[in-house]
Amino acid sequence: MSAIEIRNLRKAFGPVRAVDGVSFTVEPGTITGYLGPNGAGKTTTLRSLLGLCTADSGTALVNGRRYVELPHPLSEVGAVLEATNFHPGRTALNHLRVLCAAARLPRERATEALDQVGLADVAGKRVQVFSLGMRQRLALATALIGHPKVLILDEPANGLDPAGIQWLRGFLRYLSHDQGAAVLVSSHVLAEVEQIVDNVVIIAKGRLVRQGSLAELVSNGDAAVRVRTTGVAELVPALERAGATVEQQDGFLRVRGLEAEDIGRIALDAKVVLSEVTPERSDLQQVFLELTGEGQG
Amino acid sequence: MTLIRAELLKLRTTRLWWVMLGVTVAYVLLQLGLTIGFAGQTGQNGRQVFPSRGTVPFQELLWGLGSSGVLFPMILGVVMMTAEYRYQTITTTFLATPRRERVVVAKLGAGVVVGLAFGLIVLALTAVAVVVTVPLSGGELVLSAKVLRIAAGVLLVLILYTLFGVGLGALIKNQLGAIIVAVVWVFIVEALVTAIPALQPVGKWTPAGAGGAVTNSGVDLGLGTAYLLPAWAGALVLLGYAVLFSAVASATTIRRDIT
Repeated sequence: MSAIEIRNLRKAFGPVRAVDGVSFTVEPGTITGYLGPNGAGKTTTLRSLLGLCTADSGTALVNGRRYVELPHPLSEVGAVLEATNFHPGRTALNHLRVLCAAARLPRERATEALDQVGLADVAGKRVQVFSLGMRQRLALATALIGHPKVLILDEPANGLDPAGIQWLRGFLRYLSHDQGAAVLVSSHVLAEVEQIVDNVVIIAKGRLVRQGSLAELVSNGDAAVRVRTTGVAELVPALERAGATVEQQDGFLRVRGLEAEDIGRIALDAKVVLSEVTPERSDLQQVFLELTGEGQG
Repeated sequence: MTLIRAELLKLRTTRLWWVMLGVTVAYVLLQLGLTIGFAGQTGQNGRQVFPSRGTVPFQELLWGLGSSGVLFPMILGVVMMTAEYRYQTITTTFLATPRRERVVVAKLGAGVVVGLAFGLIVLALTAVAVVVTVPLSGGELVLSAKVLRIAAGVLLVLILYTLFGVGLGALIKNQLGAIIVAVVWVFIVEALVTAIPALQPVGKWTPAGAGGAVTNSGVDLGLGTAYLLPAWAGALVLLGYAVLFSAVASATTIRRDIT
């Protein structure tokens, strides 16, 4: 059974089809990036999954059940939605204590969860003095309160500084790859999550554009090798004879259709000096923009 | 019960409750002070404003004054619901308790505790006022069935107005809007329909009229008391309002998508 299973989910707000037939699954021990531009329907999908919105049709299940049917939801699912879900006059610790009371968790969990996200020092401070980054950490503590095995995060990197984003990546990796949690994390910036996600689901305008492993998505791009040489005149015809397409750019060549090693061998045969041979990863961000239809603009 | 405890913890971990308690206490003290101060004096119409201090009707009147501060626990009830929407904590609340009607029921349960606590405190104040002023004026303290009925009525009115506030807050999720409605309702609409004789047949069915029935001491303060429902009917009417508002809210506003 998948930790998260979304089948043919549809949800419209008036004439706007926010989510229009989306299906995907998330397995335990993996991190799935749910990507798309702002307004693509990511938040609506996640809120439907969490029972906060009622979908028009389709199913959204966590551990095989609808969220409202989970007997102890906080012990199965943790969610980080927006950074503002706190009463400003309540302290961080009290915020979590209220949650422990409502979810029948031992009250020590409140302190433990604050420790986990590095907020132990400010446990007694009112949330109104918290920075956006501290609120995000508190939101994460809220999600972790019941030791859930499924984590759902909506744009968790918003408001975090680079160090905070780095910390979050490490933390999510630990929770999923070490602790076996299924993590679904949405973002409109691929670069924020591409280092940690195993799988990618891309939506645009409410519709699923592509899904698969990160490796599949990357290989979708046409990889090239960047070559710098002093013997352009000799090397280019030699490469082309070997079947490559060569694009001459300002001071370097972009070679497609050959591996770096082949290029080196050809250069050796042609007695040409190379000063750089770098396989280019396909530009993921470019792939993402093209897939979501924003690349043409 | 767990959820009621969580709701009470929400209240205790923010500051509004003691502000409202302070205002309630101050308001009731003012009412007690005015009543004690003007007791026995003769107004312009030649009638006594309030019965004089040594009498039994005076004691009965004092016992019922605690219900004059109903607006403030009612506002607290409103805020118990609307603060969740104002600060979007409703998202976290519904994630912990996805069956939303349970949240409404828990808030009503917490409202009973809040109203009861406020009621016991104002009754304690009243008891001090009665015990100090009556013997000083040569009167004899009475603890009749009528006094007990009035004191119980004060508790009931404060509890039910708190619930009324929770229900109102659930219907009108906007905090400021709901508080304005509560204030206008208590100070203007109810004041008018219970004061104007032609409107009193309507007024007796309002929460104020029903509350007046529950705490009616029989002392006519110039507006008449004969129009009021019997005490038990007044209590039922108040309970009806709270249940009706909460039920309607559970079926409508509370169900809406949280976006």
